[in-house]
Order: sequence, then C-alpha cells, then structure tokens
Amino acid sequence: MEDPAEPPLPGPTAVEQSATLEAEPNQNADPETEESEDVDVSAQSADIVPDEANGNNGNNGTDCSGEFVVTMLARSNLEEQAVGTEGTSSPLSEDIAEEAPPLQSHRDEDVMAESWRQHRKHVFVLSEAGKPIYSRYGSEEALSSTMGVMMALVSFVQSGDNMIRSVYSEEHTVVFLQKGPLVLVCVSNSRQSEQQLRAELLYVYYQIISMLTQASIARIFEHKKNYDLRRLLAGSEKILDGLLNLVDWDPSFLLAAVHCLPLPSSLRDSLSQTLQKAITPNLVFSILIAKNQLVTIVQEKTVIEDARLEPADVHLLLNLIGASSAFQAGEIWTPICLPLFNPDCYFYAYISYLDPPECTVCLLLLSTDKEAFYAVAECKRRIEEAMVAQNSLSLIAKAQSYSVSQVGVSDLRHFMYKPFDVPDNHHQLTQFTSPEMEAPYSSDEEKMRLLDLYRYMHSRIHSSSRPLKLIYHVAERETLLAWVTSKFELYTCFSPLVTKACAITAITKLLRWIKKEEDRLFIRYPPKYSTTPNPSKSSRKSEQQDSTDNGFMSLL
Amino acid sequence: MSLTSILSAEAIESAVKDCQEPNSFSYKKFFELCGLTSKTPQEVKDVFNILDEDNSGFIEEAELKFFLQRFVPGARTLTEAEARTFVSAADDDDDGKIGAEGLFSVVFLLGLLSRSPIMAAVSQEKQYTPSLLSFFVYNPSFGPREGEEEKKILFYHPSEVEKNEKIRNVGLCEAIVQFTRTFCPTKPAKSLHTQKNRQFFFEPEDNFWIVMIVRNPMVEKPNKDGKPPTVEYQEEEVLDTVYGAVLRQCYSMYKLFNGTFGRAMEAGGVSLLIQKLEKFFYRYLQTLHLQSCDLLDVFGGISFFPLDKMTYLKIQSFVNRVEESLSLVKYTAFLYNDQLIWSGLEQDDMRILYKYLTTSLFPRHSEPELAGRDSALRPEVAGNLLHYGRFLTGPANLKDPEAKFRFPKIFVHTEDGYEELHLIVYKAMSAAVCFMISASVELIRDFCERLDALVGPQLTLLASDICEQFTLNRRISGPDKEPQFKFIYFNHMNLAEKSTIHMRKTASVSLTSVHPDLMKILGDINCDFARVDEDEEVIVKAMTDYWVVGKKSDQRELYVILNQKNANLIEVNEEVKRLCATQFNNIFFLD
Repeated sequence: MEDPAEPPLPGPTAVEQSATLEAEPNQNADPETEESEDVDVSAQSADIVPDEANGNNGNNGTDCSGEFVVTMLARSNLEEQAVGTEGTSSPLSEDIAEEAPPLQSHRDEDVMAESWRQHRKHVFVLSEAGKPIYSRYGSEEALSSTMGVMMALVSFVQSGDNMIRSVYSEEHTVVFLQKGPLVLVCVSNSRQSEQQLRAELLYVYYQIISMLTQASIARIFEHKKNYDLRRLLAGSEKILDGLLNLVDWDPSFLLAAVHCLPLPSSLRDSLSQTLQKAITPNLVFSILIAKNQLVTIVQEKTVIEDARLEPADVHLLLNLIGASSAFQAGEIWTPICLPLFNPDCYFYAYISYLDPPECTVCLLLLSTDKEAFYAVAECKRRIEEAMVAQNSLSLIAKAQSYSVSQVGVSDLRHFMYKPFDVPDNHHQLTQFTSPEMEAPYSSDEEKMRLLDLYRYMHSRIHSSSRPLKLIYHVAERETLLAWVTSKFELYTCFSPLVTKACAITAITKLLRWIKKEEDRLFIRYPPKYSTTPNPSKSSRKSEQQDSTDNGFMSLL
Repeated sequence: MSLTSILSAEAIESAVKDCQEPNSFSYKKFFELCGLTSKTPQEVKDVFNILDEDNSGFIEEAELKFFLQRFVPGARTLTEAEARTFVSAADDDDDGKIGAEGLFSVVFLLGLLSRSPIMAAVSQEKQYTPSLLSFFVYNPSFGPREGEEEKKILFYHPSEVEKNEKIRNVGLCEAIVQFTRTFCPTKPAKSLHTQKNRQFFFEPEDNFWIVMIVRNPMVEKPNKDGKPPTVEYQEEEVLDTVYGAVLRQCYSMYKLFNGTFGRAMEAGGVSLLIQKLEKFFYRYLQTLHLQSCDLLDVFGGISFFPLDKMTYLKIQSFVNRVEESLSLVKYTAFLYNDQLIWSGLEQDDMRILYKYLTTSLFPRHSEPELAGRDSALRPEVAGNLLHYGRFLTGPANLKDPEAKFRFPKIFVHTEDGYEELHLIVYKAMSAAVCFMISASVELIRDFCERLDALVGPQLTLLASDICEQFTLNRRISGPDKEPQFKFIYFNHMNLAEKSTIHMRKTASVSLTSVHPDLMKILGDINCDFARVDEDEEVIVKAMTDYWVVGKKSDQRELYVILNQKNANLIEVNEEVKRLCATQFNNIFFLD
C-alpha cells in the first residue's frame, strides 16, 4: 500500500496518467486532448506502458504475458462515443445492456421528451462550477442548463449558511449530495427513501474516485475551477451506467454486503489455498470471481490488519469488471483506487479471465507496486496451472445459485439473510445470501417490485431517526417480514395467505437451514497470507456451537 | 413507556389520594409518596419525558394544571395557587429564567431529587422543537419584470424581514418549483429539505403560492472553554405529510372566513387581498403549534359523539323544530363535549368548521365555564334561571343595552361556488349548536332574543339528557381499566376519527399519552399506506420494544400502540383482533 502522503507518481499523478493515456491509443486529433494540456500533461506514463503494448483491442489475449493491454479506465475517443458504435471502440465501452437494451442510445435521448421524464431514476454529476460531468440519460450538453439550475440551487441555499438536501414532489424525489468539488443529483420516481438514494449517489461518487482518486480530483479543481472532468472520464460513462444498473437490480448495494457464489467449502478452501500459494511481494488482495459473484478473497495480513475491505469497494471492482467486456481480452494492468480503503491512492489491478472464451471466471490481483506487472502475471500463471490440475474450473462452472425450494418451506418465496455472528466479524467482508428470484417474481417488472418492497422495508427498519426491530407487512400480493437482531438481518417474502404463526415457523426453519448450509453459502474463514502461518482453525468448533437456538427465537 | 412501568400503580394512587383536597398539593410530598425520590436519575428523566408530552424539555405552567391527571386520569386539576408555588420552586437557581417563562423543567425535577453530576451534563443540552420560521403568500405573475419582485409578495411573516431577503426567499421557492417542472410539468415541488429547515409549498389557487418554512428540531450542546454551543439539527424528525396538511389547513381556515383569494381580488384587487391576508394570518399563525402536530392533522377528521338512538332522535327533532321556527337558519350543526352529533353542512366545510370550533372557539370559552361550575354564584344565571344557554359568537350578554349583534361570517360550498353565512354558536353546558344564516340578512337584537328564548331552555334540557345517557353508558361498560392498547381510527368516507392516544385537544397543545417517536412511527406507517391503493397491515416493533400496528381496509385506517413489551407477534395479533372485534365490529379483515 502506498503512502497517500507520497503519491505513486510525481506531480498531479492521476491527471497526468490518464491524460497521457487518453492521448495514447487512438490519436485522431481529438480537440479535447489538446485542451487537456492545461492540466499539466506530460508523457509520464511510459513507464507503465511497455512498447509492445498492443492497442486496446487485445487481439491475442490468451496467455502471452509479454503482450498485454494497458488501459486507463474508460478510454475511448469522443467521436465514437457520440455515434454510439456497437463495435469495440474502447476497452471499457462494451455494452452491458442485456437488461436494458436501448442503453446505447441513452446519450442521444431528447431531454424534452416525455419518455425522458418518465425514467425511473436520473443521475447527474456536475462540478461546482456547474459544468456537466455525467448524466445517466440524455447528453450532458443538452442538459447543461438543467445542471446549471441544480448548481444554482445548491449554491443559493449554501449562501444562506445552509445545505440543500432534497426536494419532494408528488412523483419525484430529488436528492442532492455534495462531495468535495462534485455535486451529485438524483431524480427518482422509485419512491425509495432519501437515505437510500443518497447512498446510491455515494456509490457513483466512489466509482469516479476509483478511477481518479479523491486527491487528484481535488487537485484538478483547485487548479482550474471550471475544468471539464469529462475529458478524464470520457468512455467511463459505461462504467457509471453499469453501476446504476447494478444498483437498481442487485440488492448487494442496498445491504452493503457481498453476495458470494455458493460452493462446497472443500472446493472454496482449495481455491483459497491456491491463491494463497501464488503470491509475490506487494500483492495485497487476490480475488476470484465467477458469474459476477465472489468465490474467494485472499488478503495480505498486515495490510488488512486495521482496515478491512469494505463491501462497497468490492462492489465497485465487480462493476468495473462486469461493465466492460474489454477485460475479456487477455490481461489488463490498470491503476485503481479503492475509495473506502484509501480514497487518495492507487492500487494496481491485474485482471484476467481464466476461462476464455466463456469468460465467467475472473481473477483479480491487486498490488501496491505499479512495476509489478510481470511478477503478478506470473502469480496468475501459477494459479491457472493449479486450477487446471485440480479441475477447478469445471467444478466452479457447476456451482450456481440455489432455489428457495431447497429450504423446504412451502410459503416462503424469497429471502435475504445477512449474518453478523461470523467469526472475526470486524475483519470480515460483510456478506449476505439470497436465493434466485423465482415465480411469481420472474418478469423484470415483478422482480423490481419485490426489490422495491425490500427497499421500503430496509428504509423503515434502518431509519436514521426511528429505527425498528421488526416489520411484518401484509399486503394483497405478498407478506413480508424484516427483522434485525444483533446476530443477523433478515428479509423474507411469503405468499400473501401465510398466517403469522406459519411465518414464524418458516423463519425458524429457514434460520436452521442457513446455519446448516453456512459453510457453502458464505466465505467463513477468509484466508490471509503473510510470513506467519494462518490463524489456526481450532476456534472453529466453539464457533459452531453458536447454533440456531441462541435465544433470538424468543424475540418473536 | 408508561408511568406504571417506572412507578408502582399503588404508590401513584396513594400520592394522588393524599392531595385530593384543593390546595393540599405539595410537590415534595407527592414525589416522595409516588416513589420518585428513590428512582435513578435515568428513571426520573423517563418520568419527566412522559409528563413532557411535547418533548420540549419543559412543562409549561398551563400544562402543570393538569399535572395530577397525568398520573391518574380522573384526578383533580391543580389550583392556580398550587401551580404557581410549583413553578416558583423551579426558580430556585435564581436566574429568574425558568420562573419568568413559567416553565417547570427537568433540571428542577432532578435538582430536587438528586445532584448527580452526570445529569447536570445532560441537562445542559437544550432541545428545541420544530418552529415556524416564516410563512408567505406570493403570486409570481404579479411582478414578472426584474425590479418588480416585491409586488409578487402578498403576505410575509415575520414582516420585519428585510425586503431583499424576502425577495430572495420567494425567488428560491419559484426556482425550486420551476426546476421540478423539468421532470413533471403538472406536479411541481411540495417540499424542500435543507439541513436547517423544511419548506412546504402549496398552490391552492392558480399562481397563488403559500409557503411555510419550519425549522428542524435541534439540540444545542454547550462547549467548554467559552466556544459557542454546537447546534445539531435533527433532519429526519419533521414529517412532510403532517406539515403539508397543516399548510393546507391554513388555507382552508383562511377560506372559511374570507372566501378564496380570487374573491378578494374581484372585490378589491390586490390591496384588499393583502389586507385580508394580513388580518387573518397575523392572528392565525400565532395559534399554530407546530411542535404538537401529528397524524391527526393529516386526517383532519371529526370526532363523533356516540349516542343511543332515542337521544339522537331527540336531537334531530330539536334541530328540525328550531330550523322551522327560525326560518332564517340555513344550516345547523350540533356538538356535545367537542364532538359532533349532527351537521347539515357539507363534509369538507364541516371538517374545517369543526377544527375551528374545537381548537379555537371552544377552548377560548371553556375557562369561565369551568370557573362557573365551581363557584356557587353565577352572575349570568342569577338573571335567567330558566337555562344555561349563551352565545359564544355575537353578543356576550343579551341584557347589555350596548350589546353588538355582529357574528363572524363564514364561506361554505354551494353547487355553483360559495355562499357567505353568519355563524352563530350557542352553547348550554356541554352542548353547542351552530346556526348558519345567510349573510345578506341583517341580524338584530330581536332575532337573537328569540333564538335565546327558544333554544336556551331546550338545549339545557337536551344537554343534561345527553349527559345522563353518557354517564349511564360509561357505567355499563364498567370501570375504566387501563387498556393494554391505545389507538387512532380514521374513516376517509365520513371523516370520523377516534383517538384514545390524545388526552385532550386545546388551542395550544394536544396532549398525547405516548412518546412522540411512537407518534412519528404512526405517521410513517400512514405515509407507507398511501403508496399503494390496496388493503394492508403493518406490524412493527420499535426499538423501545413497543408494538405498533397499522391496518388499512378500504377507506378505513386503524393504528394501535400496544403496551406489552414482552408480547410476541402472535400475541400482538390476538390483541388487535380482540380490539377490532369489540370496537370496530370486525371491519378489518386481514388475517
């Protein structure tokens, strides 16, 4: 981990780095590139761009460790963006649009049209000078006056020694968030709570930080108040679009917890050991991802000692990988910041898929040393070898999410369970488990409706001023129960006709089932590596006595 | 939390019993007898919080009168002398502040009982309830050009605010409204949340906007070494639904007495409107008590007096007879004990008139009546032994040769607009009747005397009939055992509301018997019910282990607070079922 006081690169690092990289892949006289001179651009990054770096399309990205793609996140030239080409214009601008097909055209939307107004959730990012940085729908240019108004409102209220928080109308909730020199605004008709919408804006802010670092954003705007940050973020709209899409569909963000792929604990342990063996100096995290879910995470002991890896940082990494198919091409070496871990400095991430061309299993190695590409790539080779030897890939391929029917409770339709009674909780990544959404929640519309119900329960039970312990909600289409104790947080969805007595029996059964399956559903003992051997697993026995009957049933 | 969870019921009873006789109350003895002196500072604080319903950190002198009733509902009120002694004891520290404001604070209560340093630290924290920062009415079309912005402003409270400041604040509201129109042209902003305050917007008539700005509640924490205190705003405490309803009520009340803004414009242009707004809101805003607004303001319901058929028919025939004899009377409404029995007005008009009567007119007149009952000599009775009737509006004393026969005028809906009416409110004991007569008629002494002679004796009789019936019913239902639950019920169809949470509603405070946080949870549930148009039931367990249940069925809503901390979900469910069966004839179906 590099000391934030001493930035990894001399001078205004991020700016230089990205600016130079921007100029690097496709030099077609981009006017923006020239303009960016005024933020102190120098040909700094050559040291991490080997000469043989092969464009950005990674056409021979299988195993040749000498050839790899260097990418600064989100690089592509603006012309291509504007046209919205379907091709592989930029490493990160591949579509992630399966769930929302017209995504590509969103930038071209007519911002005066009714359809634009109807969007469930708008997100805008602007600078304090009122310059547009990002809009989820419609182009920033077309929206520049709207964003100007937003900024005017923010600064007007500020001038009265006050802070604007939100505006409510019958249909919309407008939430404002000020972070450093950036202003983020969300306009939503989803009826989510203000706190939740603000938390989502915070994710957007963190994703931007993950690309540029907080320190460099501060430095840029200190240097030039009306700097157009889009120059540095060009192409990364895809990443923010992807993030917002995930935020809408993936409850991980709501729960601030990581969803991991259910795996037999023996398989997970052996994979962890594989990662644990393939280490090199300055390697901090080794993360194995399959089907966009966490398989295992191995961490350097001293680094993680006093700061734990926050779920939000993992979410941002997962989004980054998921948002672009560019990573499917060979090996990527890219600086990335984990905002909650340290918002001011970069890690260097090695990203490579282990199962091309399917590309479902992804290895992510984070180092603090920007020169460590070759060493880290060597780790990957060793991991790959070991996994081939153990036939791990096909075992992982068999793993999948589970169905709620496995619990064996008839009225139970769906649930989300987030435990707190995990060993070594303070250093653990917060996790949750949840089955697939099945009928009647198969259509997108119904899925979103259930998620919205969960969001409503979540907002009430975690209300900042009036938190609750339990909510039992009966409506015409389903019965929901949300329950927070010191040991877990649970959201369940039942058929509408369930009685309260049945619901309680069902929850007792569910909790027992989770306890029984917890080694498969969660990463129970995240391995760490260091010179000293692993903490022994002797504590394991006593932890397991912590079984279902620990008194919490009396709460019901 | 209830008092009996801290103090034993017997101790409370004996303490109250000990001071049954007027002027026998001694706070020291009372606290000793009820066992408070042996409690921990935290428990004492809890007791205080229960007594301090508006959570202001103070018990006002006015509230103090009902001090004993907070312990035992049927207890007597404190005499003025007792209350004063009580308050003046609070001014022990000689800073004159507490006494000067007529406040009885927890500081005093604690000081009386213990001198723990921990409590001293806590007591220095000052809690401020939400309060009205400003209130204004503007019309953007009145000053469209730059430099003319001041013309937009029709009313602004507080009036001493500097002109440019007013213009700026109105400008912000316009900008917010305009901004939200970008996303939905027909449904502009209703509220703006900032760190320090909430602003509520309401456009009751085309282009006329009313804005109310409420300061968030805040806590002031003293700092050491002479630094100014740290102020923390509690941003999530104010419920939009409640204050949005309060704002709409402000307009309805204006309209009841003045008609629409448009009417004033037609009659006398902007200057008349400004004059009317000034006259009405100057006084009305002083009666807004924002700290005690709650779910009942959202409903704006009417409490109906439960009656047997016979008595109800008697009342109806009384109304018919009067309307026949006094043919001028257009509409009549009959109330008993601040509860409605009969009304000829349209629902919406009755709702706002009811609000006016119960929170403004009746409380203003209840004092002399109470005093009268206690004293042997009643001057007005001496002159007229036949009945107890008197005018609450219009002439205070018919015998007075100087008496004025002016009645307030109100505006009610008609099929094609509005009609203006005289409002005559006439009361005998606990029964009150409103007679509404077209404003085009001039009311003179003769008419009032006829009314008095006709209505006075009959109403006096009716009032005692109802009273008898009422106490009879009470006796049948048995002695009031402290129920395990408290509830609020509201029916959107007939605006009927019933609350066992609110102990009494006066002009200044509405006292509730539950913690304000629980009231806000009720508000949250109400808010969530509005999300979907289906029957729903919500049961929640609060951090304090209280159970709160909300049920919505068709047009009816029921909210129950259960005082059973160790109950489980199923027991709670049983309890609510029983309540529904006994009180509401099983109109709530769900589970």
